[in-house]
Amino acid sequence: MSNAAKSSTNAWLSLLLAGVFEIGYALAVGGSEGFTQLTWSLVAVVFFLLTLYALSLALRTIDVSIGYAVWAGIGAVGAAVFGPLFFDETLTLAKGIWLAVIIVGVIWLKLADRTKPEAVAAPAAEPQATNRPGALQV
Amino acid sequence: MHWLYLAIAVAFEITVAIAAGKAEGFKNRKWTGITLASGAAATFFLSKALLTFDVGVGYALWTSVAGVGITVLGALFFGQRLNINKAIGILLVIGGVVGLQLSGSA
Repeated sequence: MSNAAKSSTNAWLSLLLAGVFEIGYALAVGGSEGFTQLTWSLVAVVFFLLTLYALSLALRTIDVSIGYAVWAGIGAVGAAVFGPLFFDETLTLAKGIWLAVIIVGVIWLKLADRTKPEAVAAPAAEPQATNRPGALQV
Repeated sequence: MHWLYLAIAVAFEITVAIAAGKAEGFKNRKWTGITLASGAAATFFLSKALLTFDVGVGYALWTSVAGVGITVLGALFFGQRLNINKAIGILLVIGGVVGLQLSGSA
């Protein structure tokens, strides 16, 4: 593999890992019961730092809007699917459908950030970390 | 009360997005500090909201409404343009939240 391909593979692995950490974060925050359960609270803090770190690594290579879309999507789908496994929750058909609409909406929204005129006009040069308009391009 | 906690968590999450953008890859200490503090506050209020909401529901509401807020604030105050795709995303999220609420799942 070329260096570029290798760095891209690593970035996508980091992004998937960040998504998995985000699921862990969501579940742990839920399990912490308002941060009254010590173990779950500590797990939540660890996942919070891990997901931030893995996401920041991934976004050095992957386009910010694509990165956020994938990350948010994995986290939201994972929380909906695994919540009922860990807690006293149910995923009914109606709930699943409306959650899917919301999750598609947020992925769509993140991807829409990419279609800015300057992003389209700019040549496909390597992103400059120092020059990036910011994590969420606000 | 859980909707209020969720709203506060969303406000802090929007702050995280704005602060992270100014933190320049976490090289700017002040904005990095604001990012982490806001993230901690968002997490705390999300956990309060999740005392009532299911994890999957509360988390999806939190991240998606924050996403809508970031897009709307970006258009209002940060000179970003709303386009048809952003409008579709916003409508999907709002429609999903309303549907979830009307179906009694939230």
